[in-house]
Amino acid sequence: MTDLILKADGLKKHFQVGGGFMAETKTVRAVDGVSIEVRRGETFAIVGESGCGKSTLARLLMRLLEPTEGAIEFDGRDIAGIRGRDLRELRRDMQFVFQDPFSSLNPRMSVGKLVGEPIETHRPELSRAQRRQEVARLLRTVGLRPEHADRYPHEFSGGQRQRIGIARALASNPRLVIGDEPVSALDVSVQAQVVNLLHDLKSKLDMTLVIIAHDLAVIRHMSDRVAVMYLGQVVESGPTDEIFARPRHPYTLALLSAIPEPVHGRERTRIALSGETPSPASPPSGCRFHTRCPFAREDCATRVPELRVAANETRVACHYWEEIAATRPKAGLTPAAARSEGAQRRFALYEAATLRQTDRPETASNAGATT
Amino acid sequence: MNQPLLEVENLRFRFRGQAQDVVQDVSFRLGRNETLCIVGESGCGKSVTALALMGLLPQDSVRFGAGRIRFDGESFAPGDHDRIARMRGDRMAMIFQEPMTSLNPAFRIGDQIAEAVERHRNCGHAAARARALEMLGKVGIPAPEQRLDAYPHQLSGGMRQRVMIAMALANDPELLIADEPTTALDVTVQAQILELIAELQAETGMGTIMITHDLGVVAEIATNVAVMYAGQVVEYGSARSIFENPQHPYTIGLMASVPSLTGPRRRLSTVPGVVPAIGQMPEGCRFSSRCPFAAPVCAGRPDLAEQDPGHRVACHFAPLERTLERSA
Repeated sequence: MTDLILKADGLKKHFQVGGGFMAETKTVRAVDGVSIEVRRGETFAIVGESGCGKSTLARLLMRLLEPTEGAIEFDGRDIAGIRGRDLRELRRDMQFVFQDPFSSLNPRMSVGKLVGEPIETHRPELSRAQRRQEVARLLRTVGLRPEHADRYPHEFSGGQRQRIGIARALASNPRLVIGDEPVSALDVSVQAQVVNLLHDLKSKLDMTLVIIAHDLAVIRHMSDRVAVMYLGQVVESGPTDEIFARPRHPYTLALLSAIPEPVHGRERTRIALSGETPSPASPPSGCRFHTRCPFAREDCATRVPELRVAANETRVACHYWEEIAATRPKAGLTPAAARSEGAQRRFALYEAATLRQTDRPETASNAGATT
Repeated sequence: MNQPLLEVENLRFRFRGQAQDVVQDVSFRLGRNETLCIVGESGCGKSVTALALMGLLPQDSVRFGAGRIRFDGESFAPGDHDRIARMRGDRMAMIFQEPMTSLNPAFRIGDQIAEAVERHRNCGHAAARARALEMLGKVGIPAPEQRLDAYPHQLSGGMRQRVMIAMALANDPELLIADEPTTALDVTVQAQILELIAELQAETGMGTIMITHDLGVVAEIATNVAVMYAGQVVEYGSARSIFENPQHPYTIGLMASVPSLTGPRRRLSTVPGVVPAIGQMPEGCRFSSRCPFAAPVCAGRPDLAEQDPGHRVACHFAPLERTLERSA
């Protein structure tokens, strides 16, 4: 039991929308019966396209939203209905990193204040001087410099702001950090810096990470296990390597086959999905994916598929995944072709040279270009 | 027939009051039926290059250097706004990243497409609307007769991007510039839109310039690739040679930063730091402030020199393995 740090069971969040004068109220089923288990020390990823409910799920797990139905356990303790002091304690143990580093930091607060605020809330016993020291330590931890504490968010680049957001999240020494698209607003080179930082922090601080993302390459790189969501429900979950090597649910198949890979001349069979995700206010009957599924049969429109065990801890919510898998022996991605011999040597040189640079944390290159 | 559709030679400009060029000596050529991808991170000058080609930069605040544009055999200066304005929307068209901000929210989409047709063709409103209907069908919008009277907010992001494409292609342009057309879309919808553009290109033979930061998209659609950094083309070549034999440290850094979908998971390489602001660019090689191989020689500007046939690189050390492995 102590193996699990976070557990959600039959979690639902329904929003009432509309319902003005004479207007009809609609129920948006943003999250509709999600059960997940996050193990201590792992990186758990939740992936899906816009409107699948992944951000709502993250906010439920964080208790930023109250669930309509279902249970959430953190460290064996039910947190679905807690308030007041209990909730504040939960906030200390569980922290959030937001997607947009431009809108999630108060522009009128200095970095020192921004990072000092959660310390003040969660560790009121610290004196002002101790707090300042702690801010400096946190800034160093995320690859910024202590003197950055006197500056304001607009003086920083996107990647640096995300580092500030991470420093804020780390201020209360959380055991679990939930990141909602923590790197998707960043350019690839900066994204790589933040991905590496999260990876280092996780092992250094002994944390559990839950990552919400739509970028499958980032998910594969960062996570140990993954849950794929579609229209408010989990359609497939399991170890990341297994899901990427042997995707079983037709939606996962389509998602993986839709990613453009940075490899030239790759032959691939794409599973084209027609149309777009239906509205969560009126999800399709039966299997919610049947309106777009290229393998759908008649009874998919009426029978709701259960999330059932497929293999190796993998669960799939599809009536016909076995038959689909039998017709598609090579559903996973094949390894990329090698680059030219000269190019491989160039990549090795580049890697060695950048490692030498970033090993010196006080260089400007690590903290960015603001002067 | 070997004449390219578009040739850009030494495009160079800066904004008023700035001490450095925003775009410096950018040259490329594009044939019919070809796709040129301009790739780079934010702030590297790719969008502003496209806007300059389309004559969409504010005339009174931009100063062009002595570059040339040759479009379909016609040669003109990049600052020749009147000439470009006559072709814009007709012989060359552009689609943008965020379709919601490029469509007018107060007008029905049918009228917006028809307006583009009426402006450049001598035809009545009825004929223009008929063309709008035809285009909506062509870009795969279901029930186009009804959608003609829809407002942009009634459509999803993917559908809006289809409307943008319908509008851009309504006059059968020879050149389409697409600025991150799929960045705001989900991957499955992105796949649909890229497919659509490829189909329409095969049908009309137009040349396409695709601006993107996504190397995956580049590998999928590019004939040729121009890698831009800080307003300069640092590497230029066929898609095949760029992906199999990348030379410039920036190209290599970009590629090494992208997590792989297959193979072993290793720590990602990064490009340290961020793109400097205009006015703070280093002289000479602009990448030198972030380049792990930078040396004193980099204060001089490297030529975009041919490394392999058709493959050009602007780096003093190219090929890296020959110049650096000895000293390492």
